[in-house]
Amino acid sequence: MAPIRDKFTIHSKAVVCQDVELKGDITIGSGTIVHPKATIFAVAGPIVIGAGCIIEESAIIVNRRKEVMRIGDDNLFEIGCRIEAPSIGSFNTFSTRSRVHHTVRIASFCVIGAGCVLAPADDETLSDYTVVYGPSAERRTWTGKGKVQEADLRRKHAEYLREMLPKFNRLRRGDGA
Amino acid sequence: MAPSVLYHCPCLSTSSIPPPPHLPSSSYSFHPLYTLFFCEECDAVRCNRCVSVEVSGYYCPNCLFEVPSASVRAEKNRCARNCFMCPNCRNTLSVVPSDPPDSGDGRLSAPISTVGEPPFFLYCNHCRWDSSEVGITFEKPTGLAAQLQKLEDSSPDSLEYERLKEHFEPIIRASSLSSSSSAAPSTSHSHHHSNPITAAASAALARDIPGVAKYTPHARSGRHSGKDRSANKDEMPEYKSRLNISNASVYGSGGGDVDVEFMRRLEDVSEVASLEQRWNYSWSTSLETRDLKPLRIPLHSKRSKRCPACTHILIKPEQKAQSVRYKIKLVAANYLPAITVALPHQVEMLGHISAEAAKRSGKAPVEDDKDARDNLQAGKTYPFHMALTNPLYDPIQVRLSVQRVHVAATVTGEGGTIEKARRPPFAISIPTTPFSIAPFAEAWEYEDDEEMFGLDDDELEARLSGREKETKSKSKTVGVLEKRANVTVVGGEVALGKEARGEVKFNMLVAYTYRSDDPAPSEGHDVSPSKKAETKTFAFYTVVDLGNIIPKEKSRVDPYDV
Repeated sequence: MAPIRDKFTIHSKAVVCQDVELKGDITIGSGTIVHPKATIFAVAGPIVIGAGCIIEESAIIVNRRKEVMRIGDDNLFEIGCRIEAPSIGSFNTFSTRSRVHHTVRIASFCVIGAGCVLAPADDETLSDYTVVYGPSAERRTWTGKGKVQEADLRRKHAEYLREMLPKFNRLRRGDGA
Repeated sequence: MAPSVLYHCPCLSTSSIPPPPHLPSSSYSFHPLYTLFFCEECDAVRCNRCVSVEVSGYYCPNCLFEVPSASVRAEKNRCARNCFMCPNCRNTLSVVPSDPPDSGDGRLSAPISTVGEPPFFLYCNHCRWDSSEVGITFEKPTGLAAQLQKLEDSSPDSLEYERLKEHFEPIIRASSLSSSSSAAPSTSHSHHHSNPITAAASAALARDIPGVAKYTPHARSGRHSGKDRSANKDEMPEYKSRLNISNASVYGSGGGDVDVEFMRRLEDVSEVASLEQRWNYSWSTSLETRDLKPLRIPLHSKRSKRCPACTHILIKPEQKAQSVRYKIKLVAANYLPAITVALPHQVEMLGHISAEAAKRSGKAPVEDDKDARDNLQAGKTYPFHMALTNPLYDPIQVRLSVQRVHVAATVTGEGGTIEKARRPPFAISIPTTPFSIAPFAEAWEYEDDEEMFGLDDDELEARLSGREKETKSKSKTVGVLEKRANVTVVGGEVALGKEARGEVKFNMLVAYTYRSDDPAPSEGHDVSPSKKAETKTFAFYTVVDLGNIIPKEKSRVDPYDV
């Protein structure tokens, strides 16, 4: 297996803390916030993260496939989640300790509830506005009501973090290997 | 199955001997210690089945508002404030304003006001259900219950219920008047007292007091009421319902042709409302998921428990809904010594296996090891340790004894195969001499072995001689093994016969003696009842379950091993 070459392209407006474990070819967009103790492993293929995402502590984003793992804008990866989905849209919420396997592709405005495990045997695409909740990962579709307020809240969340995190954590400056 | 000790509650039966433990039906009378209560007046153990329970208060689990019992009936056991339950996932709904109108240029605009814009609706954070799917919206974010009240009251089920109530109320009133006046004065139990306090009070009033004439207030009206009762016992005006019952399903109450039509059109199983979603409703609702309406949150109650014999309160919770403490807490764990049993060979193997598993990156332990570890092998002798913890502030003397059980071996037709009904022959040996357990005290009050400074010579000698005694007793398996803090570990042995099968369970009588008035600790000498302080003895039965016996061959799996 070829050795993993680290190549981080971090936007100047992104906030990535010092204590984050990064491995492989990773691109982080503008305004994205990566909390300390997060883990982003681009083991087999590169990971591209969009703008305005919030990746919280103990979140694990792993790409074990050769293809690029694209993550869209304004997603929220809460504490302890483990994501391997090959493509993720925008404005999704991955709640605490949720797990998404590499067989699932996620569109926009989805919500994966706390502790839910999304591990179907075959490849699957979650359509827009899908909500996964409950211990047995039941699904239903959201009407999209309140998405304006939620988007606004997400942006305010990111703004606040962008202001506060650098005051208390060391930042990693974007550079090569 | 880890070895366990369960305590026997006689549950007001006359014999205190517990049933034989190997019968499956006797498990009803054995309970873990943390579920038991202790009545100080009767000096008896009470379990959840024999206590009498009464409601001490009602509260809403969401807003934690204590609802006075008068309003409980008025609000039909539901929260009157803005607490609603999501019909989909049974989570609490929050009131949210609608999104601000789209400015049209594609950008998501910030909301205009802090309160938000009408119309408001209920929104579930967990499953993202919102009440606009069933068409419920509000103009104001407060006073939702009142706004929904009109809607609820006009439903056909509710109107039908009101009509039924109006119909039956005069009949009930008439019959209750006649029945209460003909009650026999000697038995006050015919009065339906919902409160045991008033029941106890009326029992006291009706008690025979020598010298005082019996109070009979109903003697005069007895004859007159008999006539009344026979008159209207069988006569009742006929009830006419509002709607024809065969058409009722059209209005959403479920059952009938509407359901059949729904089933025909069914495409996905998630369209049908599940049982958990439906059973909280007061009336039967339609089967479709999209018809489920938000419910007001049902109230929970705080219960207090009383001893059935003397009606003293055993458990009384605090009045505040938020606090989980109790005003009165007479639990058995504060009076009876807690007993835990462990098989030392299992503990060792568990340690080995967990160390190996940690090295093997967290794989589950191999099944064979588990079998050999959890179960006892026939033909071997196993030592087991019992740790008794003293909860009292006085030292206690404990005596254990094994109850003799009649072995009724029933051998079925098949000779060599395993018979379920056969009693496993095993012999238990436990120390039968009384041993003491030190009183409970705070952690810093216990004499630590390291702290030798500042002690008198006498105490030092006593400690040293105590330690010598302990090292001597460690070499044998049966007897007192260790005494530290307020825990005493005694060892026993179980010898399994070669053909033994089934579970190793035996009843054990634990009798302990404590001095209730003497503050000086005892040194483990024999108890002399002639001492000035009074000593009380309490005995209770326990069942010790050591696990299952597996035959000597490891490869064969026992058919009834769970």
